[in-house]
Amino acid sequence: MLRSLLGMIRKEFLQVSRDRNLLLIIFAMPLIQLLVLGYAINTEVKLIDLDVYDFDRSALSREFISSMRAGDYFVLHEGDESLFALAERFESGDGEMALVIPNDFSRRLTLGRDVTLGLIADGSNANSAAVGLGYAAQMAREFSQEVTGMKPPVEVRSQVLYNPEMESIYFMIPGIIATLLTMITVMITSMAIVREKENGTLEQLMVTPISGAVLLLGKLIPFAIMGLFEMFLALAFGVIWFGVPFAGSPLLLLALSTLYLFTTLGIGLFFSTVTSTQQQAMFFAWFFSVFAILTSGFFTPIANMPHWVQYITYLNPMRYFVSIVRGIMMKASGLIDLQTNIVALVIFGVVIFTIAALRFHKRTA
Amino acid sequence: MATISVKNLSHAYGSVKAVNDFSFEVDRGISYALVGPDGAGKTTIIRALCNLLTPDAGEIQLGGIDVATDFDKVKKKLGYMPQTFSLYPDLSVEENLTFYGGIYGVTGARYVEKRNTLYEFSRLKPFADRRARDLSGGMKQKLALSCALIHDPELLILDEPTTGVDPLSRRQFWDILTEFKKQGVTIIVSTPYMDEVARTDRACFVFRGGKLAEGTPEELTRLYQGEIYYVDRLPTTPLLDKLNLIEHVVARRFGTGLHLYLDMGQHPGDIATEITQAGLSVEDLMSVTPDLEDSFIQLMQGQQ
Repeated sequence: MLRSLLGMIRKEFLQVSRDRNLLLIIFAMPLIQLLVLGYAINTEVKLIDLDVYDFDRSALSREFISSMRAGDYFVLHEGDESLFALAERFESGDGEMALVIPNDFSRRLTLGRDVTLGLIADGSNANSAAVGLGYAAQMAREFSQEVTGMKPPVEVRSQVLYNPEMESIYFMIPGIIATLLTMITVMITSMAIVREKENGTLEQLMVTPISGAVLLLGKLIPFAIMGLFEMFLALAFGVIWFGVPFAGSPLLLLALSTLYLFTTLGIGLFFSTVTSTQQQAMFFAWFFSVFAILTSGFFTPIANMPHWVQYITYLNPMRYFVSIVRGIMMKASGLIDLQTNIVALVIFGVVIFTIAALRFHKRTA
Repeated sequence: MATISVKNLSHAYGSVKAVNDFSFEVDRGISYALVGPDGAGKTTIIRALCNLLTPDAGEIQLGGIDVATDFDKVKKKLGYMPQTFSLYPDLSVEENLTFYGGIYGVTGARYVEKRNTLYEFSRLKPFADRRARDLSGGMKQKLALSCALIHDPELLILDEPTTGVDPLSRRQFWDILTEFKKQGVTIIVSTPYMDEVARTDRACFVFRGGKLAEGTPEELTRLYQGEIYYVDRLPTTPLLDKLNLIEHVVARRFGTGLHLYLDMGQHPGDIATEITQAGLSVEDLMSVTPDLEDSFIQLMQGQQ
């Protein structure tokens, strides 16, 4: 029993070591994902192109404009004298943001009356538009305080916890780790089992005394090990290369990742029972991964999603795992902090794995 | 495992009846062939024997054990070689053997001994490190047979093991089978080749999911009714057409000559006139002993 299980596992690793494409996926995927996502996905917005249309041309308006230069948030461009140019800039895609200062700007300000500024942003890049508008509004507030010398009655003092520099990479790495573990295990597991079907070896095995449980474990354990290895690789790379802090317990992360594996291996196993070629299995795994990643809160916060989508995310096991990895890595969360997520993963794991194992058993016994 | 018994086996794929009320028995230590053309139902019978499909009806017992309910009990004593190559193409010859040995608990010294014996028969030793996918067709089949034999099975079930294999490899393959039969292994093999039937103890003609006849190769050959003659004359179409006009006679090309099949009770003397009219003489007819194929074709035509 144990011997044939070890034989199965050994065989699986041998096969993986022979498959050059698979090896490439296993080793190159985490590094490429980390590098690409780590550098490319940057939610910090800086150096926004800002076209300035100053119709006031007073000392005060110039002072306001120069205050916008502070802090590398904007790169200022002197706008044309007509607003027709503004529309053209945006239509051609050259304009990112525009500030319009009316010709009564300084007059009204010196009289102590309110002034309206125009801010225009290109919403096709929603993120930088939102951030840019926020910066500009903040600067306008500070400027009016300076001019009027009046402090607003309500003041906000903000402090950011866990990631004070708001480095987006710290936030991305846990997501990437969850993505890798999900994709690798779902995809490779389903494909490896379907390959046995394609080769006819699954049928050959069914005639041997190998038990269903050994067959199942023999197929799943190798990919669980590979998934965890993958995760370790990504983690080490994140910590060493990007200097991502690891606040919590690595052991807890390992334990909860193993818990999560019941879900992903179960899904991979399930896909292998509903497909008959590796291509089909890959398609299923791909489809699932895209859904799982997009609704996991990895790229966009779940709270920002429409309500009905938020409900759907509860059905996504990866959502809970992303929270767990983020919690452990960034906030040193413990078992109690993560209990809701853990309970969810236990339920997903038990249900999915049982269904998949039963289906697999029915097809092989 | 003493005897194999299949009773009233029936199976259909949708509306196509693959096997229809098929029964046969195989005694211990015997080699038994299921012979028939493609689509006769051989593979369906074999797959049912190995519990790889659940037949619509019928009962299969291997050594007194019901396959449908207690298949696990016979697995250890069973070696199976499917029609298509079903080993790991990315593993080497040796790795495949080790893997299948491991599944059956054949490890250590026992494995080495067994492997060496199998290498001796299969002559695969020089290719031990070669990936299975890079083997020739004949070597692939020998490797598959070796994997099916690694655990000393009492019963070996082979589904068209030599289809698409060159004649020399086919002979070598059958030499190995004969050797293991001598050691007491019961063998059930399906094949479309009549010459292979001659190497088995008993055979069964399978056609359209049913049994045409069963017996030793000699008995099956003797089932042929009528006489066969060889004529050493160029088998031109006009000549064949003329001969086929004669009642109770069928003429067919045979190599560079032709075969005349005379119905039961007919003798060359009875049709001397017609033969002369066709441009031959009775003296040209050389008697031929019917073989298995003649017998099979005759039985098949009787069904059609």
